[in-house]
Amino acid sequence: MGALPAVDTVTTNDVAPVIRVDHVSRWFGSVVAVSDVTFDVKPGITGLLGPNGAGKTTLLRMMTGLTGTSDGTVTVFEEPVRRNPPLYGRMGVMSEHETVYGFMKGRDFVRMMGRLRGVTDEAAVDKAINFVDLADAAHRPMGTYSRGMRQRMRLAGTLVHDPEILILDEPLNGADPRQRVHFQTLLRQLAAEGRTIVLSSHILEEVEQLADTVLLIVNGKLAASGDFRAIRVALDERPYHVLVVSDSPRELAAAVVKLESVDAVNVDPDGTLVVLSRNVRDLQIELPRLAQSAAISLRRVEPLDDSLESVFGYLVER
Amino acid sequence: MLPIFSLTLRQLSGKWRLTIMSVLALLPVAIAVLMVSFDGAPTVEEFEVAVLSSILAGAISPLVVLAIASAAFANEIEDKTLANLTLAPVPRWQIVLPKLLAAICVSGPFIAISAFLTGYFAYSADIRAALAVTGSAIIGVALYSSAFVWLGLKTTRAIGYGLLYIVLWEGFFSSFVMGVRLFSVRYYSIAWMHGFDERRFAGFDDFSFGLAVVASVVVFGGFSLLSIRRLRHMDVP
Repeated sequence: MGALPAVDTVTTNDVAPVIRVDHVSRWFGSVVAVSDVTFDVKPGITGLLGPNGAGKTTLLRMMTGLTGTSDGTVTVFEEPVRRNPPLYGRMGVMSEHETVYGFMKGRDFVRMMGRLRGVTDEAAVDKAINFVDLADAAHRPMGTYSRGMRQRMRLAGTLVHDPEILILDEPLNGADPRQRVHFQTLLRQLAAEGRTIVLSSHILEEVEQLADTVLLIVNGKLAASGDFRAIRVALDERPYHVLVVSDSPRELAAAVVKLESVDAVNVDPDGTLVVLSRNVRDLQIELPRLAQSAAISLRRVEPLDDSLESVFGYLVER
Repeated sequence: MLPIFSLTLRQLSGKWRLTIMSVLALLPVAIAVLMVSFDGAPTVEEFEVAVLSSILAGAISPLVVLAIASAAFANEIEDKTLANLTLAPVPRWQIVLPKLLAAICVSGPFIAISAFLTGYFAYSADIRAALAVTGSAIIGVALYSSAFVWLGLKTTRAIGYGLLYIVLWEGFFSSFVMGVRLFSVRYYSIAWMHGFDERRFAGFDDFSFGLAVVASVVVFGGFSLLSIRRLRHMDVP
């Protein structure tokens, strides 16, 4: 499997790694969920990016000690994380599961999470709840909360003991746009305080907006790692197939193929054009102009391979 | 440990579960009242075998405890909330013990009241005998709880396997195969009852009180250790 070039920022700067994943594999029967993955995580926000079923959750669960490895080791602060309860006091983990104790009031939940982690100070409970902006709802049973509120109260429970490491599995799942922005602001604030945050997502833009470093997981393997900009550059160089339906396909094809942004044009028997371009931004500008000048009516323009899977597939094949 | 104990108490105190337990717990009392109300009331030994051993210690108590204790962890596993507890920086026994105690505290009162009333009516208001029946029932609850808490951690089919154990092992084999009684919680419980009130229950022991005490400690400690070990090694969902 290929990897993106010159994106080894996770391992070369001077800061010591907080989490070290060393040749880790995990299989369930004959199914290999994670295969020989190695990387280090340092303070800041690290995004674990990959399509659904790529092995992100299994990897995160091994990083928290909830699941053992079949091969390789995971260490946190240079200690094995599996079966190491004292270490858990330095970590805050929010799983992908949104289930809460529905009968329990939000405040009681955060208090319980704190007590289990040695926090008896009510001020810490208040601070965590205020941080997620849920003071008004803290006295209501969590069963009455919206999905986004449950996520935020779970984050409060994760933060109440002021952990040095936060591991969050799909934390923005189910959040509406406003909650999403709020959550992102909170995470940036926590990272600015020097914490190590690892979060997973299958949404490219989500990770791009948040993470300093990206680990791209595909089919249980580490496809790429490093600064998001390096991955974005690679994505921008990727050839796109764009479907174009017009009232004069052959005339349009003859004109379009002359554009610098276009690599090739294929005319299907039904008159549909499939344009191959490595510069979609320019194509977006040039195509309407061209159609207008040639008096051709564009009926449909649609990217054919904009799914996340195709993006990941491209990166893996490189 | 208190937060886990309180949490588990609340989790195990669902309305439907408590209603079913109440109905089950009333059964031995009703049977005792019926048996002593008619002519030809059973002897102490006959009553012990028919009601205290077969129904209370061998069926009602394990059924009630199975419904409660197996859910102590199984609910958390099913709801995927167990990680909230296992990711706490506490030794695993500090998670297992409060869960086990909570299971005993929820099912114990039902069985204790049932046992006391059953003994009270059966033995003509003999308080000492009723207390012996109650004490032994509580010990039975503790032993069954330790086993079923472990079962709930071990498998998602705890109720099915638990029912098989109750029907086949405690119900069938221990009734007809003498050697099985050495490994039967039902008979440990009865031996404790004999030990608590030798005056009333003298002369029909399956095995000694001392052996029952040792076996009970082994069962309770063994299953508790198995639960701790299981929690330490399992992949938490």
